[in-house]
Amino acid sequence: MKIKIYLTLLAVFVASGMSFAQTQLSGTITDENGAPIPGATVIVQGTSNGTTSDFDGNFTLSVEANQNIEISYLGYITQVIPFTNQDTLPVSLVQDVDELDEIVVTGYGTQRKSNLTGSISKVTNEKLDQIAVSRVDDALVGQVSGVNIAATEGEAGSAPTIRIRGTGSITGVSDPAVVVDGLLVDNDYLSNLDMNDIASFEILKDAASAAIYGSRGANGVILITTKEGEEGKTRFSYNTYTGFKEARQSDAYYFSLEAEAAEELANEGTLSNRTARKLQIGVDRDWQDVIFDGGTITSHSFAVRGGNKKTKYSTAMNYVHDEGVLLTDDFKKYNLKLKVDTKLNDDFSVGVNLSPSYSSRRRFDGSTHDILRQTPWLPTYLDENTIQHINRLRDGGKYANAQVGDYAIQRMFDDWDMTNDVAVTSGQDISNTSNTNPAAKVIERDRNDYKFKLYGSVYLKYKIAKGLTFKTTLLGDFQHTKRDRWQGVQAHRNGASNAQYDISNQTRIHFVNDNIFNYSFKSNGHEVDAILGFSAEKWDTQFESASGQGYTSDLLRNIGAADPTTVTSDSYDYAQRLISYISRVNYVYQNKYLASLSYRRDGYSAFGPDSKYGDFPAASVGWIASNEDFLAGNDMISQLKVRFSYGISGNPFFNVGNVLVNNFPYLSLLQSTTAIVDGANATAFNPVNIANTGLKWERSIEMNPGIDFGLYNNRVTGSIEYYERTSDQLLINNPISTSTGFSNAIVNLGEVKNSGIELELRTKNVTQDNFTWNSTFLLSSNDNELVNFGEANGQIQNVDSKRAAEWINQVGYPISSFYGWVVDRDIPLEYIKEPYHPIGAEAQDVYVKDLNGDGLIDDDDKTILGDPYADIVWSFGNEFTFGDFDFSFMIQASQGAQVRNMGDQYLFNHFNSGQDFNTSTTPDQGFIKQKIFTNDIIQDASYVALRNVNIGYNVPEDLLSTLNLSSARIYFAGQNLIYETAADYTGFNPESINNTSPTTWGYQRAGSPIFRTMSIGLNVEF
Amino acid sequence: MKHLKIFTLFFVGALLTSCESDFLEPDLTSAINGGSYYNTAAELETAVINMYDGLQGENSTSANDNHATQIEFYLTEMRSDNTRTKAQEGEAAQFESYAVEATNGIVADYYRSFYNVILRANLVLANLDAATGATATQFEAEAKFVRAYAYFNLVRLYGAVPLVDRVIGPADTDVSYTRAPIDNIYTLIVSDLTTAVAGLNNDFRTRASQAAAQALLAKVHLTRGEYAQARGLLESVINGGNYSLEPNFGDIFYNESNSETIFAIGYAPGGVDSQNFSAEWLNAVGRTSGVNYVTADVRTAFTDFGGTERSEASFRQDASQPQEYQVAKYFPNGELGPDYATDPTKAGNDWIVLRYADVLLMYAEAILAGANDTVDQAARDAVQDVRERAGIMGNVTIVTKDLLLNERRVELAFENHRLFDLIRFGKAQEVLSAFSTANSYGFSTTDLLLPIPQVEIGLSKGQLTQNPGY
Repeated sequence: MKIKIYLTLLAVFVASGMSFAQTQLSGTITDENGAPIPGATVIVQGTSNGTTSDFDGNFTLSVEANQNIEISYLGYITQVIPFTNQDTLPVSLVQDVDELDEIVVTGYGTQRKSNLTGSISKVTNEKLDQIAVSRVDDALVGQVSGVNIAATEGEAGSAPTIRIRGTGSITGVSDPAVVVDGLLVDNDYLSNLDMNDIASFEILKDAASAAIYGSRGANGVILITTKEGEEGKTRFSYNTYTGFKEARQSDAYYFSLEAEAAEELANEGTLSNRTARKLQIGVDRDWQDVIFDGGTITSHSFAVRGGNKKTKYSTAMNYVHDEGVLLTDDFKKYNLKLKVDTKLNDDFSVGVNLSPSYSSRRRFDGSTHDILRQTPWLPTYLDENTIQHINRLRDGGKYANAQVGDYAIQRMFDDWDMTNDVAVTSGQDISNTSNTNPAAKVIERDRNDYKFKLYGSVYLKYKIAKGLTFKTTLLGDFQHTKRDRWQGVQAHRNGASNAQYDISNQTRIHFVNDNIFNYSFKSNGHEVDAILGFSAEKWDTQFESASGQGYTSDLLRNIGAADPTTVTSDSYDYAQRLISYISRVNYVYQNKYLASLSYRRDGYSAFGPDSKYGDFPAASVGWIASNEDFLAGNDMISQLKVRFSYGISGNPFFNVGNVLVNNFPYLSLLQSTTAIVDGANATAFNPVNIANTGLKWERSIEMNPGIDFGLYNNRVTGSIEYYERTSDQLLINNPISTSTGFSNAIVNLGEVKNSGIELELRTKNVTQDNFTWNSTFLLSSNDNELVNFGEANGQIQNVDSKRAAEWINQVGYPISSFYGWVVDRDIPLEYIKEPYHPIGAEAQDVYVKDLNGDGLIDDDDKTILGDPYADIVWSFGNEFTFGDFDFSFMIQASQGAQVRNMGDQYLFNHFNSGQDFNTSTTPDQGFIKQKIFTNDIIQDASYVALRNVNIGYNVPEDLLSTLNLSSARIYFAGQNLIYETAADYTGFNPESINNTSPTTWGYQRAGSPIFRTMSIGLNVEF
Repeated sequence: MKHLKIFTLFFVGALLTSCESDFLEPDLTSAINGGSYYNTAAELETAVINMYDGLQGENSTSANDNHATQIEFYLTEMRSDNTRTKAQEGEAAQFESYAVEATNGIVADYYRSFYNVILRANLVLANLDAATGATATQFEAEAKFVRAYAYFNLVRLYGAVPLVDRVIGPADTDVSYTRAPIDNIYTLIVSDLTTAVAGLNNDFRTRASQAAAQALLAKVHLTRGEYAQARGLLESVINGGNYSLEPNFGDIFYNESNSETIFAIGYAPGGVDSQNFSAEWLNAVGRTSGVNYVTADVRTAFTDFGGTERSEASFRQDASQPQEYQVAKYFPNGELGPDYATDPTKAGNDWIVLRYADVLLMYAEAILAGANDTVDQAARDAVQDVRERAGIMGNVTIVTKDLLLNERRVELAFENHRLFDLIRFGKAQEVLSAFSTANSYGFSTTDLLLPIPQVEIGLSKGQLTQNPGY
């Protein structure tokens, strides 16, 4: 039967799957104490004929005479037993003390967890692939202490912001480095990975651990290891889930015409003409319902993995479709993977890994704040009723030919004669914008990102001598990104003249050649593991774009159809090169004393001739006290390790908004431009930067003491650590006098300190046969402080000069702090000019405090109003198993961060940006300021969320064998089923951040919502 | 062991190929390395053209781009009695109400943009060695014309400003943070324009010409009260015979490079050489909800002095808001005529800096020489020519200061002259006070100069001083 399945699925595996069954051997596998070991691998040596033990440790296997049977299980010593026609085979496996520990990937190598001296967190993919999210990083929320992942954008497929131990960089890039199976890829690669195919994540948090990645370690490193084939029978697995998502809406942003009219009637005794006119139209809707339309998410994943002594293979495919919760957002992702490792002989092994992936993402091409500030009386389309109320005379007869089905525009309803109830050319206005219908702006635009990525690697590993190996790896990563954006003829108030098509293509090819010698030595209590290597890396990027306007039809979307005078195009290319010398020695003495030294030297093309190279040394030590005699046999303490690390890592990447300057900052660049001279277009070259020949890496120096412990026979395990990371010689685009002709110059300047505590606690609360309960509690706190900012200290910045709410970058405070006046009291309603128009409007001005008491409000009364960084982030996870059922949930919370919620400014003031109090009657007008310049819109962004829930049923053994399956699981999963924000928070996503400049962090402009997902899934393996 | 040798070879080979000295210095293919450029006259000309690109300014919203001429109307017309914002709100409304703050972004943008133009000119002057003979003379003259034009605008708007007469870097804070005396700035302007007059010919209209340098220098002299020098220069332009009044007033702004244009900043529709102000002056078409809207005060002046032809060609009623009036000069590529740009925010109308009517009126001003009136025939003829072209007949029997100022107002309305004219005629205090009072604005004498941008003062740690009143 099994053979038949194999045949129908993958003929190529038939040969290895078949065997000439002679004798059915059955046996039981137990540990030293006689407890059954389920899931142990039993294989006939030299063949692929094998099985695994069931829940009771039992197995049956077809065996021929004189074959050797190999029994293995992780953490136990492998046994080989010759088949001598035994009837049954009882096997007792002995624990392998060395293997007790988890193996942790450390970058260019692995290490036993007990021997780690740095701060590395491992997340094994046990149920991460059951979380219904389309990106792998979204599933990591709350899984690791010190790693803060925030849904800064809520669109399907959009990247969250990941910060490991806080933000250290200012103009530099603060995203962690991402390494997939040994290749340091662009951060963007996270969009195209298949969670089903990921075995584990290792997060290198401290500089000593990350320093092996030298110049790219400063923001921490996420190492991703994909699944490998395992020795034993071929395993087919199919995982799928499907779920639906809905947005978390804001009650504060719900505007009701009816409620507003009732309030007006109650307060004023009568309805104004304006309100009466609005009521006539007969529409009252919440725009949140229109743009947060919810969606589904579906994933199918199929994998075949297996291997024998010599060759292991893993192949997988995955399809995910995430419709997103916004009106047009949509994300699809396709992954394929093939990984084969084979031993050519005792000395040589080779391997290949090839993973193409493709994703397409349709964006929500609009701004939620712009749509949600629209009035509730406006329908999306004109229907038989609403068309009766439009004014065909308005705007010189612009809407004379409006028909049912056209987008409704606010202006259509203006100029109404309320006495005679007819359209006139000058009457009651109710519109508050000349913009087109907000839904049209989204629906009539089509904006997509298409990403094709091909990841490939081949390696050759040679065993030179006992303990000494050499491995050369060629890794490559090809990325093609196409973006296009169609703004249709109805997408803009100006109609066809503003119809626009933009298209761009980027190709990026990245090659790495790693050459690593590895030497391991173990004798008399000394253990040495050393690497020495050389690596060369190159990236070549090409970009081209074109744009055209003036389309008269939505049917023809190409540049050729545009008005030729509007067509613009651009292209550029640039290269990056990196050379690295890598070395590390790990030393263990008597399983008690640990030390690690590493040194990396990197040379990077973007820095000038005098500063191309940077040095990144690290050292760490540890003491496993629990292996000392005085703790031997201690009832309480089963594991105790004290460790300390110190290291220097770097960051070479920065973004000043010009990719050529980013890559050639040491040259004075001239870029082409044109001028109209004497009626003709003439080419010019314009200086775009001030060269800095001495520019060098950002440097991150971190010290990290920590304690790892296990109590009560490891029922309770955990760690406590403290870190202090100083990032200096930051790459800063420093403001300079504009009389130089430039506004900024890139320099190494400034210093930021991040320090914090991380706590991890894992407990096995109940460990009965049919009931287990494990808990995990993770807590991190980080304190961010700007220590030195040179000339820029105290600089005041804004995001939007029209709504210039201010941030200050002040030494002694976090990198960015909110700045402005302190609210004293609201302006009484009686002084507000039009309190009931637009609907839901609040006064946009407020009385502020005269902090220095000089009787007037000026800049001297401004103060620091808060900061956007969380003080404490924690998560609490619990897993229960009841026989075949299991249940897990995780609560995750962030406390202490604030946001400047500009959504309030846009939504509560709609389109009205003028002062709205009566200037002739309002007292103390000198003390009135717009709310956006005060702490009025600075809100607590804390939240506590039920991030994940998973309830599963594992099909029992007897049923599995009937179905010819080796395992099967069905489950229900939920994300964010409960999501509570602070009381004063009005928006729908406290994690949302609009602006990504670290110096103005915390700017939120409505953004996109948090969503809850409910899904059901099925995992089958056979 | 054989394998080991192969491996060692591979490893060493990889090292050698990768370690080539230029591996870490990839080619720069999409930009030019300025450190080794400007070796020929053709290369230097790309720097010359770049100055005009600087005057043009980028049609963009990016805070770091040069916007130069594109935003000039905010600082000039909207600080005069000619225009205001439609909505009277936001940063732009600070100008019309004389409530400009030192943090105003447009004030900083213009300052930065014109120093960027100065950098571009200084870059040409620093690399003059690349050209020889007549070409070098021409390039030097052009660079000095552009630099003088930039300083003339800066000194009139901001007063004493840092005097940057070479390419400087961030370390040259002694230059960047020192406000040079106004006289020193004018000395450079006069010297630069004198060189320009000597080195230029009259081949171009959207590139520096001798007449442009002469007319600009004449305006500098008028500003400094040096009427005789101004008169001589203006006579040279008039007698040169290269320029004449365009027969139809409205055509001046749509027939590009017409016979009246002495110097204009070139734009072309659609692409990177387009401009945005033509759209911003419309009702909510550009990035604003309507700026540079026409005041009632200037409409009265048109009624009184302008005549129908100029009124119709200068402003119109806003169709969607009948109580409001828009500037009718520079409609996006002739909104009413052919060559209408599909996107008005990317209009291609050239911006005229100096035209012959301005020269004629300056000529009368030079003859008037600060007096209250003159009956000089040449002065009367000059004014009469301008009026007759506008369809206003009748002999001009006397040229008074007020007549000339009013004539300049209606002839050159919305062309960024009014504020400078008021100041030059010594009428700013009187006229703007009355205008401010009538509109409940807050004019005071110190409003005649803009603040030095607060960001510059902040960077200088107080070394740069602020203008009074800010």
